[in-house]
Amino acid sequence: MFLVGIFQWWYGSGWLRHLKRSYVGILRTADFFSLGLLARTLFNPFRQISATSGVGSLPVKLSSFFDRLLSRSIGAFVRSMTMLIGLIAILARVLWTVISIIAWTLLPLTPVVGFVMWLAGGA
Amino acid sequence: MRAVFNYDSLRAKKARFTARFNNSWRIICYLLAVIAALGGVILLLERDSLGWLVMSLAGPLIMIAVWWQGDLRTMAVRQPAETIDDILSADILGKLPRKPTPRQIAEIVGTVRAGQFMAVRLGITPNFLINIASDNPDQTKDLWKSAIAIRRRTGSTKVTGAVLAAALIEQFPSHEGLLASLRLEMADVERGIRWYERLKMLIAEYAEKPLNTGGIARDWSFGYTPLLTRFAQNISQQVSGGTIMTKTDVHNDSLERLMSVFSSGGRQNIALVGPDGSGKSTIVAAFAEMLIDGHADVPASLLYQQVFLLDASSLISVASGRGELEGLVTQMLNEAYLAKNIILCLDNAQLFFEEGVGSVDISNILLPILEAGRLRIILAMDDQRFLQISQRNTQIAHALNTLNIDPTGEDETYSVMRDQLIRLESQHKVTYMYQALTEAYRIGERYVHSLAMPGKALKILEASAGYAQNGLVTQQSVHDAVEKTLNIKISSPSTADEKDKLLNLESLIHQRMINQTRAVAVVSDAIRRARAGVRNQDRPVGTFLFLGPTGVGKTELSKALADVYFDGEGSLIRLDLNEFVRPGDVSRLISDGAEDPFSLTAQISKRPFSVVLLDEIEKAHPQVLTTLLQLLDEGILRDERNREISFRDSIVIATSNAGADRIREYIERGYQLEQFEEQFVNDLIGAGLFRPEFINRFDEIVLFRPLSKEELLQVVDLMIDGVNRTLEPQKIQVAVEPEGKRLLVEAGYDPRLGARPMRRVVQRTVENIIAKQLLSGTIAPGSTTIISAEQIESSLGRSRQAAKD
Repeated sequence: MFLVGIFQWWYGSGWLRHLKRSYVGILRTADFFSLGLLARTLFNPFRQISATSGVGSLPVKLSSFFDRLLSRSIGAFVRSMTMLIGLIAILARVLWTVISIIAWTLLPLTPVVGFVMWLAGGA
Repeated sequence: MRAVFNYDSLRAKKARFTARFNNSWRIICYLLAVIAALGGVILLLERDSLGWLVMSLAGPLIMIAVWWQGDLRTMAVRQPAETIDDILSADILGKLPRKPTPRQIAEIVGTVRAGQFMAVRLGITPNFLINIASDNPDQTKDLWKSAIAIRRRTGSTKVTGAVLAAALIEQFPSHEGLLASLRLEMADVERGIRWYERLKMLIAEYAEKPLNTGGIARDWSFGYTPLLTRFAQNISQQVSGGTIMTKTDVHNDSLERLMSVFSSGGRQNIALVGPDGSGKSTIVAAFAEMLIDGHADVPASLLYQQVFLLDASSLISVASGRGELEGLVTQMLNEAYLAKNIILCLDNAQLFFEEGVGSVDISNILLPILEAGRLRIILAMDDQRFLQISQRNTQIAHALNTLNIDPTGEDETYSVMRDQLIRLESQHKVTYMYQALTEAYRIGERYVHSLAMPGKALKILEASAGYAQNGLVTQQSVHDAVEKTLNIKISSPSTADEKDKLLNLESLIHQRMINQTRAVAVVSDAIRRARAGVRNQDRPVGTFLFLGPTGVGKTELSKALADVYFDGEGSLIRLDLNEFVRPGDVSRLISDGAEDPFSLTAQISKRPFSVVLLDEIEKAHPQVLTTLLQLLDEGILRDERNREISFRDSIVIATSNAGADRIREYIERGYQLEQFEEQFVNDLIGAGLFRPEFINRFDEIVLFRPLSKEELLQVVDLMIDGVNRTLEPQKIQVAVEPEGKRLLVEAGYDPRLGARPMRRVVQRTVENIIAKQLLSGTIAPGSTTIISAEQIESSLGRSRQAAKD
């Protein structure tokens, strides 16, 4: 019962569960760095600072235009940097996920590998 | 699926393994794995190839621990299920012997979490189950069948301990009677199972944190809101991060409507209109949670919008004057609009649209913004006030999208209570029993008029937390809370004193009134029926029409009743209906307590457990009597705000002098009351003094007969007792010689006025004599003075002389 039960689960629903959890982990990392949101709002004024459009004479309009431009530039810079860091973090997470899936698949074989290595006498 | 237990199935074996291999073994596995891995590395560093073998042992150990956590602990049901073991919960399955008897199953149910839930929440204890379970293994098959059916009916994922508890009860032949002792029905037990399943689901949902939260950059595109942060509550911040229990299924339709209004291109406002307690704030909180946690059904344009709650009353109290308030509100509205992620919720919004104490009409500022419909605003308003505002200012009504929030029905209220208990239990560190919920609903429906459901039931539950016994809020805790806060007697008479009082009500009442035994008997019977729980719950405790001459004890009996049983004469609500002779006086009966604290409905709302005395009922206007019909019939009266006010815990006594002379005539001709009672009532109807439909509404029509001189002698004794009670602080007692009493009766007897003149006579004689003796110092504290017939006669003579002069 013991061996049947554990192997049936390990390579069946357990493996699927592990895949799902790994996938959710990647999504959670992506959510933390808000990559989609950052991409959609890349050129939005940062925290709406100087975001109002100037009403009045040409100099006022020009001034508010440049204020907005500055706010948007700051926003784009901060967001780009965050996206970059986010991408690196997600890549690292994906790499970790791949390793963990391989490890999951091979873990039941460790006693066999260990036994063979012991017999082979490698150290 | 077959109702058969397969002891040798893989799932059953795994469950038995889990029962032995508990969480501490899992930790040991992890520890051994670490030791094996480290040991292996150390050996390899020592160039010993055995290290590979030692290190490799970590793999199986980790596998076992992970298997336990991912599979054995939860053990999903087997699909498709063939036998009962495929759907039994692991904690039960792991403990079942090969051929379990129902009693063995009952014993196991008592040891698992779901079984303990039923024990604590519903009072279905392990001993209760063991006592009703059979010891015959042949009956186990029927038990499994019953469990399978209950699982299907309750939508449970597995056959848990809760399902088996219900099945064990269902298998017991006369289970209805058994459950009644716990104040439950089978439907309640199934509700208990659904409650357990719901809690499991909420905990599982809570464990799965939202995946679409917007992350660190969520608010980078939105502006700062310093003013709103200072003056408003950020609901979104309070509920974000996957709160437990905010959203209930009851609110789904309302939430959909909110989503649709705010994601459409129309006016971005909505007025939640409903009575207090109907759940407006909960809907706003649920809406805020959905937006901030990025639920799947939230449109992109609403994602990460934050709901700020502005309480009108606190804002008005912060601003010193109208100008300052207008300025503050304008600034906040601007801030919200510029921030681009704010949905403003104005709670008690009616206070912004009317002028009065604690309210300022700033509709001149709000109306253009509501009409423009660009700033997202939710207004929460009382339905009655909304109607008034809409009538006064139709533009407001036209500018708003309205969403009516109706009070919840019974099942919905149970769902809300169930979910809200999680918060209440964690705040008050108590556990609520199911019976407390049912009682809170019943009592709330009946006695709480200021709120709608589910608010009224929740209010009672919250108050009951303070009356928990050993951390458990029971039906009794709810009774205690309501009895203390509303002054209503709900629970059955429990103390020997109270039972004794109930059984001897007549003699207690007769301590303060003479004769009228039939009247005393009928009111006493009514109270006994009510307290024993055998009366009709949808009517007042008793409705009586007392007919008879003045001064024979009609009002005195009402007072005696209030004093003896309803905690003092303060519980007597008395209305002289000769003051209700115009059609317009109906409004004075039912006016809102806030405007007229002495209206009948206002007084009974404050003291539902009272004697209502409607004096001289024949003088009331017919419309007033028509209004009272519903009160007499169903025990309710609608006040001017159309709220049902319950009279179902009061005794209603109407008195009338109509036909008093006829009663006297009958008695003088030697008739007994019983002999002419029916004829007398028919005569009153025939004379047009009362309408038959009015007379028929009373439980009993009681005739009071004139008092004889012998009875008046007893009345004198009662009055002298009253004088002695007054003199008690001065430690003086007074007594009157028998001849003196007769003189008092002769002087105070008037066949038309009954005992009423007697009080004046006693005052003029006995009280005057005592007063003089006290002032002259002829009586000392601790002494008893006896008033002679001569003293009475002389005092009466003086009184007569004074009257002549």
